[in-house]
Amino acid sequence: MSTDVSNDNPIYGPFFGVMGAASAIIFSALGAAYGTAKSGTGIAAMSVMRPELIMKSIIPVVMAGIIAIYGLVVAVLIAGQLDTPTTYSLYKGFIHLGAGLSVGFSGLAAGFAIGIVGDAGVRGTAQQPRLFVGMILILIFAEVLGLYGLIVAIYLYTK
Amino acid sequence: MSNKTKKGNGSDGGQTKVSKQRSQDSQDYSSFKVVLFYCSLIVFLPVVTFFALKGFVLEQFFTMSDVKVNIAAAVGAVGALHVALGLYIYRAYFGGSDSKASQSKQD
Repeated sequence: MSTDVSNDNPIYGPFFGVMGAASAIIFSALGAAYGTAKSGTGIAAMSVMRPELIMKSIIPVVMAGIIAIYGLVVAVLIAGQLDTPTTYSLYKGFIHLGAGLSVGFSGLAAGFAIGIVGDAGVRGTAQQPRLFVGMILILIFAEVLGLYGLIVAIYLYTK
Repeated sequence: MSNKTKKGNGSDGGQTKVSKQRSQDSQDYSSFKVVLFYCSLIVFLPVVTFFALKGFVLEQFFTMSDVKVNIAAAVGAVGALHVALGLYIYRAYFGGSDSKASQSKQD
């Protein structure tokens, strides 16, 4: 009996869950920070000449912040289920590690895309305002990459 | 005499500059208020929605399992987040263009 419990619920089981929660927020915040910084340089360079466009050009920064909120949601979900090794199986730890990694790396990729697109799009919008709609569409498609990671993470979490 | 008139012109120019600066400051302040409101909405609305929905759904349908309550709260939080983002984009696209004509490029 005790060997069964120790086989199903080893002492290192929660380690994977903790790593899942940590990687969810770490990589999402990394992507969001890159997106904010890269599009922030573009906004700063653009606002010198067109300060009236600041409200429109903040949108990439907001979208990069949303990537971090995806990671925060998954990290809070995983952290809510963490428990002592006697009730937390190794399988649950693997599931939570997979959920955290999926939203983390998807957020990292989406943050990179938002940063690069936001930088170029904001600079271009200052010269051609009709580019704004295209920039928003591209930003939404970049944002959706992070949302796909969130959906997979939540689906894994229900297993 | 000519020096005096020059001085008067200079002070007039300074006054118009100050009033222009004040109007720009008030415009900047109003746009800052709008941006701050929407950004705080986007940051805090999903967090409040998550925990409120978790407590409310738990209280309302306590037959649901804990995982399902968490999922419902997370989906609701992300939905509220996207509603707030959509509101901000709508405001930036349709409301941010009215003050465009009053300002021009500065050297």
